[in-house]
Amino acid sequence: MPKIYTWDQLFSRRQFIKGGVAAAALGAAAGSGLLHPKPGLGDARSTVASTLSGTKYVYTICEQCVWRCGVIARVENGVVRKLEGNPDHPNNAGKLCPRGNAGIETLYSPSRVKFPLIRAGARGSGLWRRASWDEALTYTAEQMKKIKDKYGAKAMIFNSTDNLSQPFFETLLKAYGTPNYGTQRSLCFNSMTTGFLYTYGVAQPGTDYANCNYMIFSGRNLAEGISNIETQEMIDMVARGAKVVVLDPRFTKTAAKAEWLPIRPGTDLAFFLALINVLVNEKLYDAKFVSQYTQGFDELTKEVATYTPQWAEVQTEIPAGTIRRIAREFAASAPAAIAHPNWRTSNFLNSFQAERAIAVLNALAGNWAKPGGLIPDQSINTAKLGTLPHPSYPAAVGMRLDGVPWQFPMVPLAYGVLQVMRDNILTGKPYQAKGWLISRQNPVLSIPERQKTINAIMKLDFIGVIDIMANDTAYYADVILPESSYLERYDGLVPIGDEIFIRQPVIKPLYDTKSSLMIYKELAVKLGLGDFLPYQDEKDLLVQELKPYTVSLEELERKGHYRVPNFKEDHSKDFAFQTSSGKIEIASGIMAQMGKKAVPTWEAPPKPGPDEFYLLTGKTAQHSQMFTQDNRWLLEIFPENKAWLHTTVAKKLGVKTDDMVIIESEVGKIRIKVYVTEGIRPDSVFMVGGFGHVSKGLHFAYGRGASDSALHKSLADPISGSSALSQTFVRVSKA
Amino acid sequence: MTVRMGFVIITSRCIDCDACMVACRAENEVPIGFTRNWVTDSGAVGKFPIVKQMFEPGNCMHCEKPSCLSVCPTGATYKRADGIVLVDDTKCIGCKYCIEACPYDARFLNPVTGKADKCTFCLQRLEQGLKPACVQTCLGKARHSGDLNDPESVVSKLLNRYPARQLSPDAGTRPNIYYIDVPVAEIPSGT
Repeated sequence: MPKIYTWDQLFSRRQFIKGGVAAAALGAAAGSGLLHPKPGLGDARSTVASTLSGTKYVYTICEQCVWRCGVIARVENGVVRKLEGNPDHPNNAGKLCPRGNAGIETLYSPSRVKFPLIRAGARGSGLWRRASWDEALTYTAEQMKKIKDKYGAKAMIFNSTDNLSQPFFETLLKAYGTPNYGTQRSLCFNSMTTGFLYTYGVAQPGTDYANCNYMIFSGRNLAEGISNIETQEMIDMVARGAKVVVLDPRFTKTAAKAEWLPIRPGTDLAFFLALINVLVNEKLYDAKFVSQYTQGFDELTKEVATYTPQWAEVQTEIPAGTIRRIAREFAASAPAAIAHPNWRTSNFLNSFQAERAIAVLNALAGNWAKPGGLIPDQSINTAKLGTLPHPSYPAAVGMRLDGVPWQFPMVPLAYGVLQVMRDNILTGKPYQAKGWLISRQNPVLSIPERQKTINAIMKLDFIGVIDIMANDTAYYADVILPESSYLERYDGLVPIGDEIFIRQPVIKPLYDTKSSLMIYKELAVKLGLGDFLPYQDEKDLLVQELKPYTVSLEELERKGHYRVPNFKEDHSKDFAFQTSSGKIEIASGIMAQMGKKAVPTWEAPPKPGPDEFYLLTGKTAQHSQMFTQDNRWLLEIFPENKAWLHTTVAKKLGVKTDDMVIIESEVGKIRIKVYVTEGIRPDSVFMVGGFGHVSKGLHFAYGRGASDSALHKSLADPISGSSALSQTFVRVSKA
Repeated sequence: MTVRMGFVIITSRCIDCDACMVACRAENEVPIGFTRNWVTDSGAVGKFPIVKQMFEPGNCMHCEKPSCLSVCPTGATYKRADGIVLVDDTKCIGCKYCIEACPYDARFLNPVTGKADKCTFCLQRLEQGLKPACVQTCLGKARHSGDLNDPESVVSKLLNRYPARQLSPDAGTRPNIYYIDVPVAEIPSGT
């Protein structure tokens, strides 16, 4: 009879302290007096991989969020002591954000899953037994084969999120043959990517902050949703006196550096339509650019005629004079003026229209491929990696559970609608899903209506999770395949422009864990699909990726990056818009084809009822989505989320900062501490997402704060598939 | 001229991300529950919707007349020739007088060592020609450090060009952190 572990036993702090690693770390700490002089190292840039008194410096890539910053790790006698930004990396120019600085605590966290686990009690009971890798992988493959044999490959769902080895997970899913793949996209930026795709044929154009003189943000909060180099550029922009306007119902830390417009939630669309109205009526648009590169301007002129600043004032609660002034200022700064594409925008079902209006406003400014404007897709100007040969994929048979395209004909296949996929596990329509393999994603916390996600998991025959930590979804899994942390493993290479960057192990794995590259590979072998991932080990894979170039893997490891010689940028396609007309589509051909209004148009968002509030969600600089709340160094600077209430609302409820309130929506109820502030609209409640973990395996995150996903309704925009997180209304009462 | 090590902090460039606090914790193995540096957040000041908010990073001010030094009964707290204020752990008896005396609340009793603890200017980094961890990592280039007496230093150049203030000058400790609140478009090059 194997030993059965509870979560507490598996992740106890005591066990960690006893462990050799911790002892080494503590010993090292005690031994290095602050005044103890160390050998002169000069500039860290030039001394990478040097070994002086057991100290070495290793180049790698951060994974404390998805931004991929360059890191130089200082390792002393096998212990990672300090992470610093790589000054030569374009994503961060030598700086690390708080999360990047706290990567060491992720590595040495007691919450790491230290060996493969197979469930030893009911699902979610918290009873586990240790398994060998061979047993855990065999078990996973057997479950997946059983499902495929009995119900077809389509009954198996695969899920992952943006990470360096994601392409290889996608190879595994294609080789397995299921049409069902879920990513974070529909919970994040589907409305932006589809809005821009259907206007420019480019899903995510860049923004030239360095030369921009006028920026309007309406859902991009760079001071708190840090994208390292963009955040740096935004700060520089403010410092040099460029105008920044922030539309947000909450006074964000970005708003603190800008002109803040506390817009009524869900009405960003009206604001941008009114800006277009002013530009058109006052002839402030770039007529030459519009006639040369766009189509549909006349239709737009008719549509926006009634969207006057006065009309928008009623919708947005921003004074008409302010709207008109901003329109004129924006036009005067064009083409070095950008209405930022954002990420989530206002998070309502009309966000697709808002993004279309933003895309069109940029076109009227004529800022495409101009200094200070939008930057065309640069994938053509990115170094190409060597590819791995593999057999042709089997046909993925069956309708997709996420409703693409049969329910969501306009959602690009690659984006998907994750929340609908979850719903259809529960409905069993158009067929019943039976298994779910999840790599580094946490649907229990990420998808709206948490309880529904837990119910969906309970309905399945099999659920397997690949992660470094016992996240909330892992808590309900049948098997956990523990991945090495980013400081212990290789991943696929990262080309950025003419350079190629490497993530490599800074130290050997502390525990019985593997890289996801090898987990996918070995699982593929057990499934009889090994040929699809044709590499012996990680190094073999990286050598194949480097094949087009003369650089050796050893040199890449030593220098951290490789610059492709004589790389020529090609801008001949900058104005070759991949739309049906080949032009920037102010009037969208696809929208027209679908029988919808082709130009951006007003869709009124719903309003909360009496005694109800808008529920807003957003980011904090100190945490990443739902995967850093267990990091003690980050908890030191952001220990829990609180519900922001306006002073007048708090007074009415009789609560002050740190008092508890109950927040209830149609789908759930939470208890949370209050933060009283003048920095939020009185009709809104705000909470940072990612807290309120239910996994007892997350030692320090468990029980902290509350989860917005427990309150969010599941909504999907019929055009973009985007979830409309802020279209949930709540009641607040004193606890 | 003698060296006078100090900091210049540009509050207008700080976004309160607290990367400086985590970098310091990593570099100096600061125990959980304590910190050697901080960023204060004013919160939204004013009445909706006319509000403003300021972030003010700080740490030990390495004062010219440190009140922590004069109250230390054992001589553990000392000021180096370059102005950096340090605690000699072999002499500190953990009496906490200095912690009480500091007008900036920059010190704490380290529960691991039992000694008074605070910012050391990352001396171990200075000796290697590196900037302090908080300065190195600052996304907004809000934190700067160097020799305030050297006209070629970044900090001196900043103070030459922009108006600056000190915290609690009334305390009479002559702190060596200077705060610039106005926008600073470009950081001058310098030592």
